[in-house]
Amino acid sequence: MPRRRNTLLVAAVATPLFAVVLGGLLPNEAAAQRKVKVEQPRPLVGTPQVVRDLHWGDVLFYFYQDDWLQALTRLGASQDLDRVTHHGTEAELLKGGLYLSLGQHEEAGRIFKALLNDNVPLDVRNRAWFYLAKVWYQRNYLDDAATALASIKGALPGDLEPERHLLEAQVLMYLNRFDEAIRALERWQPVGDHGDIWSSYARFNIGVAMVRQEKVEEAAELLNEVGQIAAPNEEAAALRDKANLALGFAWLKANRPDDAKKVLQRVRLEGPLSNKALLAVGWADSAEKRYTKALAPWLELRDRNMLDSAVQESYLAIPYAYAQLAANGQAAEQYVTAVEAFAAESTRIDQSIEAIRNGGLLEAIVDNDKANQVGWYWQLQNLPDAPETRYLYHLMATHEFQEGLKNYRDLRLMQRNLAAWSLSVQAFNDMVDTRRRAFDQRQPGLQSTLDAVDLDAMEAHKNELESRLGEAERDNDVAALATSREQEQWSKVEQIEKLLANADQSDPMVQEQREKARLIRGTLMWNFNASYKARLWRARKEVRELDVAYKEARRRWVLVGRAREDYPARTEEFARRVTTLQPRIDGLSARLEATGQAQNRYLAQVAIKELQNQQQRLAAYSLQARFALASIYDKAATSASGKSEEKAPDNAPPGGQSSGDAGGAP
Amino acid sequence: MLRQSLYPVMLSLLALLAVGNAVAQNTAPSLPPEMTASAPPANAGPAASDEFKSLDEEVQGLKKEVLDLNRELFVLEEELLFPANTQVAVFVSMDVGEFFALDSVTLKFDDKEVANYLYTEREAQALLKGGVHRVFIGNLKAGEHELVALFTGQGPNTRDYRRGATIKVEKGVGAKYIELKISDKAVKSQPEFIVKEWE
Repeated sequence: MPRRRNTLLVAAVATPLFAVVLGGLLPNEAAAQRKVKVEQPRPLVGTPQVVRDLHWGDVLFYFYQDDWLQALTRLGASQDLDRVTHHGTEAELLKGGLYLSLGQHEEAGRIFKALLNDNVPLDVRNRAWFYLAKVWYQRNYLDDAATALASIKGALPGDLEPERHLLEAQVLMYLNRFDEAIRALERWQPVGDHGDIWSSYARFNIGVAMVRQEKVEEAAELLNEVGQIAAPNEEAAALRDKANLALGFAWLKANRPDDAKKVLQRVRLEGPLSNKALLAVGWADSAEKRYTKALAPWLELRDRNMLDSAVQESYLAIPYAYAQLAANGQAAEQYVTAVEAFAAESTRIDQSIEAIRNGGLLEAIVDNDKANQVGWYWQLQNLPDAPETRYLYHLMATHEFQEGLKNYRDLRLMQRNLAAWSLSVQAFNDMVDTRRRAFDQRQPGLQSTLDAVDLDAMEAHKNELESRLGEAERDNDVAALATSREQEQWSKVEQIEKLLANADQSDPMVQEQREKARLIRGTLMWNFNASYKARLWRARKEVRELDVAYKEARRRWVLVGRAREDYPARTEEFARRVTTLQPRIDGLSARLEATGQAQNRYLAQVAIKELQNQQQRLAAYSLQARFALASIYDKAATSASGKSEEKAPDNAPPGGQSSGDAGGAP
Repeated sequence: MLRQSLYPVMLSLLALLAVGNAVAQNTAPSLPPEMTASAPPANAGPAASDEFKSLDEEVQGLKKEVLDLNRELFVLEEELLFPANTQVAVFVSMDVGEFFALDSVTLKFDDKEVANYLYTEREAQALLKGGVHRVFIGNLKAGEHELVALFTGQGPNTRDYRRGATIKVEKGVGAKYIELKISDKAVKSQPEFIVKEWE
């Protein structure tokens, strides 16, 4: 289940960042893909990629699984090895986005800035401005972010356009330029259901900011709107609750309890904000002096978990109401209960502080988290119920704590990553040794093969053939191109003619044989002459082929020789690289450990401070309760002594004593 | 009077609530980034104290070093274990995937099994979005080799589906990449398996 929740978070959060990093170039296909992936809450617009480099697809495979560390590693390696040449700009945009998602703002900013030159298409520049705006926004450089957003020319592709307006509204809001923020929101064109909820978040944030600016009427318009949105899911319902609660408190502060009560009653009775809403509804009634009514939500609250500050406050509010109703006995009883409860709670906080001092805070948190993913957008989904974390809900919701926690978590994941590589380094060492041994083993065989080949003799032979052909051509020696059988026949004819020359020339048989020899010689010569040109052409062709083959053999011989020389050098180069790795890994691991501990100490310090603040708040509550209690006793004593005799004040029965200002605390 | 003294407490709740973005972080897991990590703190001023910033910078620097080292290690691993002249890699990709839901791929080179990969739902989704999975990387001598790829999954009408493909591969001097692409053949309502060789 935690995995599922994390997936949803990442899908919703990471998607807009990358959506058009990858898309925009293929809007039609993007639309087609959107149809296919309807189950995704916010599909990666433009994800269909015409993969023109396989290794680009390999990067996307990990990116789409939100494995950003792996995606970035593979992207960097593929760029080093020139394997994503067809996706140069997309690769840079994605790389910037990945760095951003891993919290590496400077690196991300550097990459996006590099894409802002005139050689880059406007579309890419616009996206780079957009992402730079995000980087600066996240680093709280709000003016820079506003400038970057203003530098975008025309519309951004796909879902980035509405997101840009949301971002713009957020930036302007934090710059206290509320009117412009609202105008930016008005330009917002939500895309689908999720777009609507985003818009609602923006309106909520601006509304809350306006409350802080004491512009309650304007804020009310926005918050009232968000407080009545359709709530088909938990997320929307929670946002609606928040808007109603914020507005309720704002009306209470503006001394308009009736208005407050109306919106507070919209908050769900069971939900993360129900306690605060119950408390506030009580205060709204109380402000109208309807104390009996006020008691109903407060008494409901008292039975809830004491961890919530609203519940803690109810321990004071209840006796206050009793006192206002002149039920001093019950008020006193409730104040005593409150003092005891606050003391018990304070003791538990002491235990929490002790547990945190013992170093268990971040371990308890991170161990509870199962998602094995580095990431800027990672967020803690479920707090473990441990002494270290029990009181820290609000602290953990703060930006600073979340960032620190993410850093700590990333450091731990990277330690694990390096530990895994450390094992590989041993394998690399083995591989280098294997290369060395394999070379030593092959070297003698290779040498004997090379020794057996006499390329110089081959060359001499080739040259001789060339020269013989040249001579035959020059001398028009048709017999020189005869086949071996023909040459055999030719030499037999010559032998026969020699024999016949020494024989008795008057012998008719000799004459007949001479005539036959002459005929054979003539036939052979005729054949030689007739095929001479064809033979010469063929012979020339063969010599040329021989020359090519010889040159190739020579080239390969040189290559083999060079490889034989280079191989050990390359092996030693590998050995050198491998040798430097382990110390680097060890050094980095040690620094990761030390920085992780520093982060742990820092967050523990922040957490302890937060707990101490809570204790101070409980102490203040407790003090108020004691004063109120003393005041009740005092009144009772005064009243008793005023009436004259019998009962001592500490024996006063609960309730029944009139006391106009009994609950009054100093 | 008590009411007056409690009022600041109550208003502190308002302040707490007013950190809309921060409260949202814990309660709404799927908030847009603007509401969550990326939002500058609303009422607490700049989030980062000096100590936090200096730690954060240190962490960023360290992470950058680890990321760089990861890239170097990745490249070294490939160069050392799979030199370009003998390197062979097999990739699996998918397009729409309407007629075939991939479960696993088995690869045999020259009758020897070299990979048997079972896909998770997440990985299959990544393939459908356009990711390409390098299912095998290894070394082969130059010359002719036989690659047998066996795909299993669910075919049309959610029936179990097995399909094999045999490919003759000519390994030259440079690295050889083979893409096994699972595609939908709309006309026949069947998946088809296309082999593409990349140099």
